[in-house]
Amino acid sequence: MSDREVLVIGGGPAGVAAALEMARGGLKVTLCEQGPRLGGAIHRQPDDPSRRVRVPKAQRQRWQALAEALAASPVTVLCRHMFAGVEGSGAVLLEDRASGRIVTRHPAALVLALGGVERATPVPGWQLPGVVTAGGLQMMMKSTGRAPDGDVLLAGSGPLLVAVAAQLTALGKAPVAVLERSTSAVSLRALAGLIRAPAYLWEAAGYLLPLTKAGIRLQRGASVRSIVPAGDRLSVTIVDTIGLEQRLVVDRVALHDGLLPNGNGTTPAPNGPFTVLAGDCREVLGGVAAIADGRLAGLAVLARLGQAAPDLAGAAATLRRERRTQSALNTLFDYSGSDAAHLPDDTVICRCEGRTLGQLRGMLAAGDRVSAREIKLNGRFGMGACQGRFCAEWVAAFVASQRDGQPPQVAEIVGSRWPVKPVPVSAFVDLPPSSPSE
Amino acid sequence: MTSTSQAFLFDGKAIPFDSNETIAMALDRAGIRTLGAGQGNSTGRYFCGIGTCQACTVSVDGTRMEACLTPARIGLQVERIASVSL
Ligand SMILES: Cc1cc2nc3c(=O)[nH]c(=O)nc-3n(C[C@H](O)[C@H](O)[C@H](O)COP(=O)(O)OP(=O)(O)OC[C@H]3O[C@@H](n4cnc5c(N)ncnc54)[C@H](O)[C@@H]3O)c2cc1C
Ligand code: FES
Repeated sequence: MSDREVLVIGGGPAGVAAALEMARGGLKVTLCEQGPRLGGAIHRQPDDPSRRVRVPKAQRQRWQALAEALAASPVTVLCRHMFAGVEGSGAVLLEDRASGRIVTRHPAALVLALGGVERATPVPGWQLPGVVTAGGLQMMMKSTGRAPDGDVLLAGSGPLLVAVAAQLTALGKAPVAVLERSTSAVSLRALAGLIRAPAYLWEAAGYLLPLTKAGIRLQRGASVRSIVPAGDRLSVTIVDTIGLEQRLVVDRVALHDGLLPNGNGTTPAPNGPFTVLAGDCREVLGGVAAIADGRLAGLAVLARLGQAAPDLAGAAATLRRERRTQSALNTLFDYSGSDAAHLPDDTVICRCEGRTLGQLRGMLAAGDRVSAREIKLNGRFGMGACQGRFCAEWVAAFVASQRDGQPPQVAEIVGSRWPVKPVPVSAFVDLPPSSPSE
Repeated sequence: MTSTSQAFLFDGKAIPFDSNETIAMALDRAGIRTLGAGQGNSTGRYFCGIGTCQACTVSVDGTRMEACLTPARIGLQVERIASVSL
C-alpha cells in the first residue's frame, strides 16, 4: 500500500464508492463525514437501527453492498468531521465536531463528494418555523423511523415530493395534499428516456401505488402562494392552474424545487491538493450515478498518483445512461418557483439575514448597474450563514429577468470563501472548549 | 431503545431523547420549533435537515453547532443563540 494519504469528503454513495476504488488501487484512504453516520442523503441510516424506513429494495441493496465492502476495507472512517475548506498554504481543514477542534491534513489528493442541496424557491412565509424542505422532512423520517407529528402539506416540483409523500403514507401519516407546480403530462420523450432505466420505473411504481391506495391526490399545476402563522399552526394559501385560491391550515409545509450541486468549498484552491468532485456535488444525477461517479473519481486519483487503475468503462456507461434518464425526468417538472411578479415586497429572499425582495427591488431601482458584488456586499444577499446556498441562484435569475445584458453569475454571489461553513473561532484556538464527550 | 432517563438541557429545560437522536429531532418531538432569534423576521429553525442551511444553529456547551447534525448527549447545555449572523 502506498503511504500517501488521500482524503474523501462526504459519506454518501459517491464518497464511499470513491474511497473503496482508491483503497483497492493501493492508496491509504481517509473518509470524512460531517454527520454522525454514513449513508448521505439517500441512504441515511436511522438513529435507532431497530427502526427501519421502507425504501425500494434495489436502493437498499446498493447501500448494503457499499457498506459491506467498506467494512471489509482498510479505509479509515471519520464521522463528525466537517470539511472546512482548503487554506492558503494548501492544507485541508477539518473540524472535529466532537472536540470542536480544527485538524489539518496534507493529502496527496482530495475527493469532494459533498452531495446536493435542495432548491426551495421563495414564497411569503417560507422562513417560518414549521416550513421545511421536503428532504428535511424525509431526514426526520429516516432518522427517527416515525412520521413527524401534525398535518403536512408537500409543495413545489420534483420526484422527491412524491417519494416523501409515499414514505409519509407508509408510516401511517398521509400528507394533506401534494402540490406539483408542473402541468406537463408525461411526454413521449420522457417516457422513452425512462424506459431505458427500468429501475426508476419500479421505484416510481413503488411510490405511486400506496399513494393511490390511500387516496392521495397529486394536484398538478397547484402551488403555494403564501404561508402565515395561525396560532401554533400554519395557514397556507394555495393557488391552482386557473388561479383559484384555497386556504389550508396545517402544521408543517415541506417545500422542494429540485436539487442543485452543493458547490460550497468546491472551487479549486491555488495551493491545494489535486481535487476531484464526485456525485451530486459535481452533477445531480441521482444515487445510481453517484456510485459510478465516485468510482470514476477514484480512478482519476489513481491515475494522477501513478497507481495502476482498473478499466471502468461500465461506470462511464452508467453515468451516460443516468444522465439521459435525469434529463428525461427533468422535462416533467418545473423548478422555476413562483412568478416573482406575484411576490410581495416583504417576501424574505435571504433566509439567513432576513433580506427581502423589496430590498432587492430597491437596489435594482436605485443603481443603474448593480454588480453581483454589490448585491452581495451592500445588499447582503448570499452573505448569510448558508453562504447563498438557498438564495444565490434565485437572486441571479431575478436580477437577470429585471434587466438586459450580462446576468450576474451565481458563483459571484455565492463566492468561494473558506471556511466552507461558519466554524466557531474557538475551533482555531489550541484549547479544546468544553465539549460533548463521545 | 427509548430511555426516558436521558435528557439534555435546552435553555434550561430538560429535553428527553432517544439513543443516537440528533438535538433537532429531540427538540421537534418536544414540540419546540423556534431554535433561535435569527435575523430580521427569520427565526432559527429546522429547515434542510442535512447541515447546509445553518438555520438550526444553536449553542452546544458554548460552541455553535447545527442541531440537525449534532447527536444529543446526556447533560449537554443547548441554548438558543440571540443572533445567528457571523
Ligand atoms: C435532502 C435530499 C433527499 C433525497 N432523497 C432522495 C430519495 O428519496 N430518493 C432518491 O433516489 N434520491 C434522493 N436524493 C438524491 C440522492 O441523495 C442523491 O442522488 C445521492 O445521495 C447522491 O449521492 P452523493 O454521494 O453524491 O451525495 P450525498 O448522498 O448527499 O452525500 C454527501 C455527504 O457529504 C456530507 N457532507 C457535505 N458537506 C460536507 C462537509 N463540508 N464536510 C463533511 N461532510 C460533508 C453530507 O453530510 C453527506 O453525507 C435526495 C437528495 C437530497 C439532497
Ligand atoms: S436544518 Fe439546515 S443546517 Fe440544520
